[in-house]
Amino acid sequence: MTSEEFSRLSVYVHDARKPLNRISMQAELVKMALNGDVAPEKALVALDKIISSAKDCSHTLAEMTSELSGNVSD
Amino acid sequence: MLTVLLVDDDAEFTEVACTIIEFLGHEVLTAATLKEARDWLEKETFDHVLLDFMLPDGSGAHLFNELDALPKRPRVTLITGHPSVKSVIKGLCGPTVDYLVKPIQREEIEAVLSKKPKQKTPAEEKIEKHFDLLIGESPIMKELYKLISRVSKTSANVMLLGESGVGKEVVAAAIHRASESEGPYIATNCGAFSKELIGSELFGHEKGAFTGAVGRKEGVFEQAEGGTLFLDEITEMPIDMQPNLLRVLENKVVIRVGGTKTIPVNCRVVSATNRTMEEIAQSKVLREDIYFRLAVFPITIPPLRERKEDIPLLAKTFIAEFNKDNGSKFKWEDNQLDTLQAYDWPGNVRELRHFVHRAAIMSDPEKSEIELPKTIESPFAQKQSTTPALQAGRTIEDVEKELIYATLEKVNGNKTTAAEMLGISTKTLYNRLHAYGDLSKDD
Repeated sequence: MTSEEFSRLSVYVHDARKPLNRISMQAELVKMALNGDVAPEKALVALDKIISSAKDCSHTLAEMTSELSGNVSD
Repeated sequence: MLTVLLVDDDAEFTEVACTIIEFLGHEVLTAATLKEARDWLEKETFDHVLLDFMLPDGSGAHLFNELDALPKRPRVTLITGHPSVKSVIKGLCGPTVDYLVKPIQREEIEAVLSKKPKQKTPAEEKIEKHFDLLIGESPIMKELYKLISRVSKTSANVMLLGESGVGKEVVAAAIHRASESEGPYIATNCGAFSKELIGSELFGHEKGAFTGAVGRKEGVFEQAEGGTLFLDEITEMPIDMQPNLLRVLENKVVIRVGGTKTIPVNCRVVSATNRTMEEIAQSKVLREDIYFRLAVFPITIPPLRERKEDIPLLAKTFIAEFNKDNGSKFKWEDNQLDTLQAYDWPGNVRELRHFVHRAAIMSDPEKSEIELPKTIESPFAQKQSTTPALQAGRTIEDVEKELIYATLEKVNGNKTTAAEMLGISTKTLYNRLHAYGDLSKDD
């Protein structure tokens, strides 16, 4: 892997970590809602956000795969 | 309850994090950029700052100096996306910083916020910081404080003169603080920019003004609007840039590089140099007209050797800082302070601070004694000891004689070795010493 490829890969990894962080935080919120620490409606919103972040993350990974596979010479 | 500032550009994350932090019983404010964070830091006092390392307008590390300058420094936790950043940060910010690595869990936030601040060493004597920044009770420093408070009431430009390491930048910040102006304090170093870039640094540039000018940029004069602009190493500014500076100082307007519009500026300019006034006049590093514009009020900051009574105060302050940062409990012995006071400190306060920190690092962290090295040495001290230094106006014979004696001293008077070092025959050395009348008959 060239250093240019590596730095492009790092950008994708950075972009993928952002939704993962959101997922982790929203999950904490769901836990709090189940414990009764925050309003239960918040859990539903949080779960929707988790799903959408999961999609974001998957999208980033797909983008990364297609870009990097474009570089594979056969 | 703590007051927490959360700095991160991911709005969804900050929203949830706020809910969690509030639930933990703390008050929390958020900022998405460095600029917003700075605004908050001016308005509020925080106990803890959670700081993202990568922000849209720069690295979170840029805030560190500003946090240090606050009267009450908040604890800092850096949020990073990548565990490998940790070691870099540790080098950059010292060991007192905590980290949160994304993805973050609630327990982790709880842990960093509930961590007790490191136990403070019992406050012994309180050392007063004048203008929250300056340390020293010597008459010469009291005179300096008087000058600072006088000049801060006016809008006069100040030129700070003083040797390297005396604290010119600290005095500049003190003037800014004492003047209670509304604008910010902006510092820049005139010696740090190439001739091509200094125009853009000082006056800003328009988009496309030169190759690489991808956006518009405000110069430091504009940034310091209503505040204080500190121009360090003013005498290192290329002489052909000085007419531009003069025009700004006289007309109080700047034109950005590549621009046509005049922009009014209004700030106090504090400049600094480590040259003496005589040197400035003789060496022509600064145009005379600029000198008079900048040095409406010149202030000379005394070297540390002229205020040796302040050395113990400074040494105590520096060790207290070190203790705070590292959780150590070092204390000076009286005789150690005497040793420090006896030395001349050619590198001034900066050298003293480095020396104190180095000694603390070399000492056993479990004990309170500080191990001082046997001798205090610095490359600058050696330079000083060979006074008078090489200067025009001395004869070659004179310098030769000095060199011969210095060499002899170095080799404990062994003439054969000295001759070898000097690159002359032993006979020539003897002849010279005879000529100086410095050889006894039996030699």
